[in-house]
Amino acid sequence: MRRRGARGKGPRDAPGEGGFWLSEGAFPLFAACLAAGIFAGTQLYYVHRTGTFSDVAVTALLKAGIDTGSYGAAAAFGAGFLFARVVEGPMVGILDIGGSLQTGVGIGIPALLLAAGVTAPLEHFWLAVPTGAVLGALIGAVVLAVRRATVHSAGGGGSTFGADVMMGAGNAAGRYLGPLVIIAAATASLPVGLGATLGAALFYRWRKPLTGGAVLGAMLFGVFFPITGK
Amino acid sequence: MSSLLYAVGHTTVSIALGRTATVALESMVIGALIGFGAGAGVARMFHAPTVQGMGAFRTLGELNACENDPAAHFSFGLGFFFHAWASAVGTGALTSDVDHRIVPHGAAALSMARRGSRRAAGTLHDPRRMAVVGAAVGLVLVTVLNTTAAAVPHSLQQVAADVLGPASAWLINPVMPVVFWMAAVDAGRRTGGWGTALGGLAHVVMGNAVPGIVLGIVVGKGVDELGWTRVTRVLCGAVVALFAVSAVLRGVDLQLLHQMHADVPRWLRQIHHCTGTGPAT
Repeated sequence: MRRRGARGKGPRDAPGEGGFWLSEGAFPLFAACLAAGIFAGTQLYYVHRTGTFSDVAVTALLKAGIDTGSYGAAAAFGAGFLFARVVEGPMVGILDIGGSLQTGVGIGIPALLLAAGVTAPLEHFWLAVPTGAVLGALIGAVVLAVRRATVHSAGGGGSTFGADVMMGAGNAAGRYLGPLVIIAAATASLPVGLGATLGAALFYRWRKPLTGGAVLGAMLFGVFFPITGK
Repeated sequence: MSSLLYAVGHTTVSIALGRTATVALESMVIGALIGFGAGAGVARMFHAPTVQGMGAFRTLGELNACENDPAAHFSFGLGFFFHAWASAVGTGALTSDVDHRIVPHGAAALSMARRGSRRAAGTLHDPRRMAVVGAAVGLVLVTVLNTTAAAVPHSLQQVAADVLGPASAWLINPVMPVVFWMAAVDAGRRTGGWGTALGGLAHVVMGNAVPGIVLGIVVGKGVDELGWTRVTRVLCGAVVALFAVSAVLRGVDLQLLHQMHADVPRWLRQIHHCTGTGPAT
């Protein structure tokens, strides 16, 4: 339905700045989709012990709450991150999924609900999806409201609040992962380190980004020479 | 039927067919939803700051580092796929890499390979294509992660955990803070000053300096370009409030007093006790 609407304006490779997919109104919709999935993932974890979209350490906070009934740590951690990211997101133009949705909606809000004794959205899948969607849409709307009050307001026009500086730093940070993978591989075991180095060198020679080569090389050598682990 | 099996599932380790089917069906819905949202959000990042995107600065950097090469996107995503798989086996946590790395890189690789073009405009930067392809990637990915986690070879699990685990942990701390810090310092004296002050404070309060440095750049650049207007003052107030609230929520005030060998006042302890906040130990 929505796709047809966007197509109706004519087939294009990239919608222009006015198209639905790049419009401001579409943002809460995308946030709602993502948040619905993440919240439902936490529901899956609550019932079946698999499926959260957070890292092990953060999931452990929620698990500690489920096991002991004390949700303070998970709720504070998740809610604090959610707040920080909702303030930061509109300023720089990128809402951080990890802090706002994965940690906030996926861990913080479920912990708050469970602490308050509300377990229904975490027990039933058909309740979890709309709950997450509403939360995501709300977060999206708040982000747009903050954006309108600051970056896009009459007084804020003409400033990008350093978004270009942060884009540059983000791009630079991405390039560091390749060498880091090689160093981690060589620390883990010597054959895996050699594999990562070889893979990265070959990828560089073929003019491909070296991170992919390092990862593949480490994996390949790891299959033939398993890391003698702890 | 399935509710009966839920009850059984708690007591038996063996996986009942009904449980797997439920998990698989729910995972498909979840995967399609997150893939759709993350795909569109990530593509919109490339149009920031005029368009509000959704993702992360490191995701943006890693996508750019692949230089629109489908093979590079694919192998990058594949490595973190094994990482997520290994994590799902042990702990049931699919890791944040699903939304940050695997779905975006998988969707980028697929749409570039299908179009046979390396132009990012019609693939990686197009929210419509990325959302649709992302939903397909997410559907398959989350279902596979949630239902077959135990099938991944042990040697691959070990490599993923021992190599990608430390590498991505180092990226988040200390590499990203240092890169952002240097960018702030190079962007002018005011931005560098705010970045340094808020960055150090952020590591104390939040455990990672990046959010603080980013806010420092926002405040510094805002004041550089606009001066102290209403907008920048509100912004500055919000930042101060954010740090204060985060500090209390994470119990940093208690920890600070404790490490300075000072007594924690009873009322402060009481507040933390009543609100259920405090240092996560």
